[in-house]
Amino acid sequence: MPMSDRPGPFPARSSGADALALLLAQVAAGDANAFQQFYDKTSAKLFGVVLRIVTERQEAEDVLQEVYVSVWRKAATFDPARASPITWVATIARNRAIDRLRARPPRAHVPVEAAYDLADDGPLPDSGLVASQNARRLETSLATLEPRHAAAIRACYFEGVTYEELAAREAVPVGTLKSWVRRGLLRMRGQLESSEA
Amino acid sequence: MSTTPPPSGPDADLDAQAMDYALGALARGERKAAEVRLASDPAFRSAVADWQQLLGPLNESIAPVAPPPSLWAAIAADVQPAPRTAALAPVQRGWWHNLALWRAVGIGGPILAALVVAFVALPGGVQVAVPPAAAPAVPVSAGPALVATLADADGKPLLAASYDPANGAVRFAPVAQGPNQDGKVPQLWVIEGNAAPKSLGVIDISTGSSHVIPRERLAGLKPGAILAISIEPRGGSPTGAPTGPIIATGALSTA
Repeated sequence: MPMSDRPGPFPARSSGADALALLLAQVAAGDANAFQQFYDKTSAKLFGVVLRIVTERQEAEDVLQEVYVSVWRKAATFDPARASPITWVATIARNRAIDRLRARPPRAHVPVEAAYDLADDGPLPDSGLVASQNARRLETSLATLEPRHAAAIRACYFEGVTYEELAAREAVPVGTLKSWVRRGLLRMRGQLESSEA
Repeated sequence: MSTTPPPSGPDADLDAQAMDYALGALARGERKAAEVRLASDPAFRSAVADWQQLLGPLNESIAPVAPPPSLWAAIAADVQPAPRTAALAPVQRGWWHNLALWRAVGIGGPILAALVVAFVALPGGVQVAVPPAAAPAVPVSAGPALVATLADADGKPLLAASYDPANGAVRFAPVAQGPNQDGKVPQLWVIEGNAAPKSLGVIDISTGSSHVIPRERLAGLKPGAILAISIEPRGGSPTGAPTGPIIATGALSTA
């Protein structure tokens, strides 16, 4: 591999991921000390994930608390062959945050351009934030999409907005927006699969 | 790049729902429907996991934000005391937040499976009153008894349920006790195919009591239908659809 993975916070399939997987195995066995270590290594990342979706700090703290209680309970179900530890736990965090978001009235609308801007001030390959090869490949693939389509995917993923909310923001029919996102995701999957082959 | 065939057919529908769910773009009702499918359809579960893994690296671009130090203390308090003690003591947030219980229930899978068998082997053993013979909107069939093992989203068995069509009673294996101190109650639903969940009423599984289904709601109880339990405000879902987390689902099959 010409580019070695930068030692970022959570490089996939790295010693960092292995360490997290090991901690999760210990958590599954009821090891409270391992649980605290796991929290120390992951909580800032997960708080960032949750805050992007629920945005209000106190609510985000409540969600994060639920997330770790859930990690403690579900650690035994983590399958390192199926998912990287950070993706597994970030998925729990995203789901909890989105559940919380869906349980309250719609937020004030933010133009989709704001989400697109996030791509600009977001991770560049040499920013040090995108650590893993997987993340670089994903960003590369996103960059091949129509900017508006890529922005829609980002807005859904990072902010947890619904198709309906995003369609209203963009002033396009919901079906159109779904088509942007789904076709974009299928195309990304095709690219990632062929680049793996 | 490999050519992606135009999306169509049931596989494409499954894939579309999986990507919508993994992306987090579904509105509340559709999201609940996806969660039910997640708990009952292994192919869907696998498709969702694939999309989650594909999208997961996006999280790397999110800047970390340190949570306040007090949060760890709150979490540590939530996962203490030790499981055995916690399983017996009423917990502040209600029994479904009781980690020890959930873990114990997971371990108790074989016991629950045995309870299912016990229900079948003892027809009419521990019956509750048959509802008054009001004119049934749906004829009660003389079909076979049905059983379901309700599991959480990870496939861990939580409850065994049995349904006796002769008297319309659904019985649950008691797995938990403790007050619902924050005013939430479990509600039972039945889902047929892609139809919206239909309420079978608020249930009291904390005491292990039986639950008689109103006769006009019996139609959906057939092999292959999914039983689901969600956590709802006292008195049941205000919307007629599940609004809280779905804690357990399981498919009905003939006993």
